[in-house]
Amino acid sequence: MWQYEKKLQYPVKIKNCNPKLAQIIISQYGGPDGELAASLRYLSQRFAMPYPELKGLLTDIGTEELAHLEMIGAIVYQLTRDLSIDEIKKSGFDTYFVDHTTGIYPVAASGAPFTAAYIQSKGDVITDLHEDLAAEQKARTTYDNILRLCDDPDVRDAIKFLRQREVVHYQRFGEANLTHSNRFIIDYIVVGKGLSKHGSPFEIDSESN
Amino acid sequence: MSDREKLLKKLSGAQFAALEMQLYLDTHKNDTKALRSMQEYLREVAEYHREYEERFGPITAKDLYGDTDFSWLNAPWPWENESEAKK
Repeated sequence: MWQYEKKLQYPVKIKNCNPKLAQIIISQYGGPDGELAASLRYLSQRFAMPYPELKGLLTDIGTEELAHLEMIGAIVYQLTRDLSIDEIKKSGFDTYFVDHTTGIYPVAASGAPFTAAYIQSKGDVITDLHEDLAAEQKARTTYDNILRLCDDPDVRDAIKFLRQREVVHYQRFGEANLTHSNRFIIDYIVVGKGLSKHGSPFEIDSESN
Repeated sequence: MSDREKLLKKLSGAQFAALEMQLYLDTHKNDTKALRSMQEYLREVAEYHREYEERFGPITAKDLYGDTDFSWLNAPWPWENESEAKK
């Protein structure tokens, strides 16, 4: 279960509204490499992870991603506060406004709504950890692109924090990969224990390896 | 920065440091130095958490235990700025 803390992980205090920028940054809310996808990916993968270190890591990082989702929501909210209809029309925010007013909706900057097709949960230590490593780098690139498109120091401060967390998570997943991918190969493929020991119905045929 | 924001910054800083040690320990579970470091930060978290709630209200709804009013709903919410919260 989870418990809500009435605070952000890192403060978001934006003085000037900027609907154009909000429409770009919303991609990290509901886009292909956004925080919602990140959280769902890790929190889903952890159930079938056979090693306690990896169950813990996915739980802890998946939980932190929810805090990042809240920060992105706060950024988009503050960038679209007190808008005039004129500002909405001029900025190009009208295409979002017509469907959602200034409500926060999980969608990519391109307008594509959130989909679970952005994530994978494969039930295989090697496959899932490589998905996670790639996901952290894709999110890091997206934050780099946001920084290329944004010169508001209030927004950049929060985005730089989020970008740095992608780097730290990548580091931790990298360590998990180094310590557990080979162990997974030995335990379940070479020795052929089969995954059923840990609740999965699938046996690995060691003859085929 | 208001007193509330200053204390929130201290709390968030200690929580963040504890979280960093937590993630590190997920992949280095036998590092006793890191474990002691996390525990030290968690002590700070508990101290700032208690002080914040005494002065500025609950951070989780369960912290209302013993209170007479439902101050959970009081502004500001985390995505609001202080002036907006006064409206």
